[in-house]
Amino acid sequence: MHVLTSHPGVFAHGLLVTLHLSAATFLLAAAVGLLLAVCRICPVRPLRLFAALYVSAVRGVPLLVLLTLFVFGLPEIGVVYSLFWTVVTAMGLYWAAFLCETVRAGVRSVPPGQTEAARALGLTFGQVLRCVVVPQALRATVQPLASLLIAVVLNSSLAAAVGVTQELTGQTVLLDQRYAQPLFTFAAAAACYVLLTLAIGRTAAVLERRLAVLR
Amino acid sequence: MLSTVRGRRRAPLAAAAAAAALVLASACSGSSDTVVPGAPAAAGKKADTSAIDRLIADEKPASASLMPAGSTAAKIKEAGTLVVGGTQTAALFSQLDPTTGKVEGFDAALSRLLAKYIIGKPDTKLVNVTAATREALLKNHSVDAVIATYTITDERAKAVNFAGPYYVDGLGIQLREDQKGIASLDDLKGRTVTTQSGSTAAAVVEERVPSAKIQLFDTNTECLQALRQGRADAYVLDQGVLAGNAGTHPDVKVVAGTYGEQPYGIGLPLDRPDFKTFVNDWLRKIEADGTWATLWKNTIGTQVPGPVPTPPAIG
Repeated sequence: MHVLTSHPGVFAHGLLVTLHLSAATFLLAAAVGLLLAVCRICPVRPLRLFAALYVSAVRGVPLLVLLTLFVFGLPEIGVVYSLFWTVVTAMGLYWAAFLCETVRAGVRSVPPGQTEAARALGLTFGQVLRCVVVPQALRATVQPLASLLIAVVLNSSLAAAVGVTQELTGQTVLLDQRYAQPLFTFAAAAACYVLLTLAIGRTAAVLERRLAVLR
Repeated sequence: MLSTVRGRRRAPLAAAAAAAALVLASACSGSSDTVVPGAPAAAGKKADTSAIDRLIADEKPASASLMPAGSTAAKIKEAGTLVVGGTQTAALFSQLDPTTGKVEGFDAALSRLLAKYIIGKPDTKLVNVTAATREALLKNHSVDAVIATYTITDERAKAVNFAGPYYVDGLGIQLREDQKGIASLDDLKGRTVTTQSGSTAAAVVEERVPSAKIQLFDTNTECLQALRQGRADAYVLDQGVLAGNAGTHPDVKVVAGTYGEQPYGIGLPLDRPDFKTFVNDWLRKIEADGTWATLWKNTIGTQVPGPVPTPPAIG
């Protein structure tokens, strides 16, 4: 037990790096994923094809395989930059595929009749998006997006497998190596992850209530 | 934006996506695979495998009185193979030779010698272990013994029995051929240091150079790649393993000098104390009859300079 009490800083720092890693990954995934979602529902056929191909290909590769490909494969062709950002790139591109599908499902959940009605009322394309489609789509995707964020946070632990030892799981592995007390160290790490995901879940619930429309 | 035609069949697309995924996956497994076909052969002196084969042929099986019915050794003899936890990637100690398909090195030869001693034939089955999985595999009896540059520590001795030590190494520092300015552990301040997860090196670096950024990977291959690709400034591990790396990869070198003592033991299940005595007696025998010295000369001695060291005292 003294392993934990004498090393609170290790967990705090690990948690901070995990948060940093997850936030950067999610932002990149959001940017790429939104772009992909727009491609998937736009009327231009090649763009639709490209986005569909991207999603099916990337979604079909295990994250650890993709990480190893980026971390050990890219340097073979001369692309080397910081390990942290290499991992963020790989994870961001991976989760973008999932995010794209979530966003697309949200947009699809708005009945086409509403768009047609809005256009008939004379709203411009921008107004249709801003006042009719996006608010409703956003509401439908709050929970799926929260689930995705949870997956991003939990799977950020895979970074430890490719050398980002500063994040929570990596720090726990280091601590365990020194004191050989896997029960306490990993239980503490598990508790940290549970707290993080609980916080995300609560925030999503609050957001959903705020965005709810009483009919 | 909402006028997309939906519900179109996209079978060819799905097939293409699957193919792309396959290509991605196979490209990746190639880069991280532990067995590297066509890896560059060891530069300089090559380990003399025929001398080791002769050693194994000369090894006499243990007399039946040493293996009473019900003892661990007798059970292994009955099973017909010695299941050894090891690796295929530690040059000089236990490395797969892609041209012969055999695992060669000090540890690999030791496991074959032990199999010959117990069973009468050098029949071993190699189970790949990492520094993180060794204790667990011994505890659940997936392996009879672990011979894998396994450093004896007090913490580990609580989980497994150690026979030996059969070799003493120290931590060394590996750099890229063109690197300058790192001559000792103290020069690693603030730099990125890679090492194997589960090895003793990480704890030593953390203690001696707290400002060093530690990068952990599971295997020797990955650590070496991280160093060669410039992700890490130095690779700290047992010098014998590093010397093996330098033998197979001309673009890395080993800094002179070692830190601390890393006594290697043969890991055995904690609940088989009879087997520890048995293996210790055998180690004493091969150290006394010159087998150990011949083995060292033909494996580690091909890369580590100096005369044959005195084998460490057993127990």
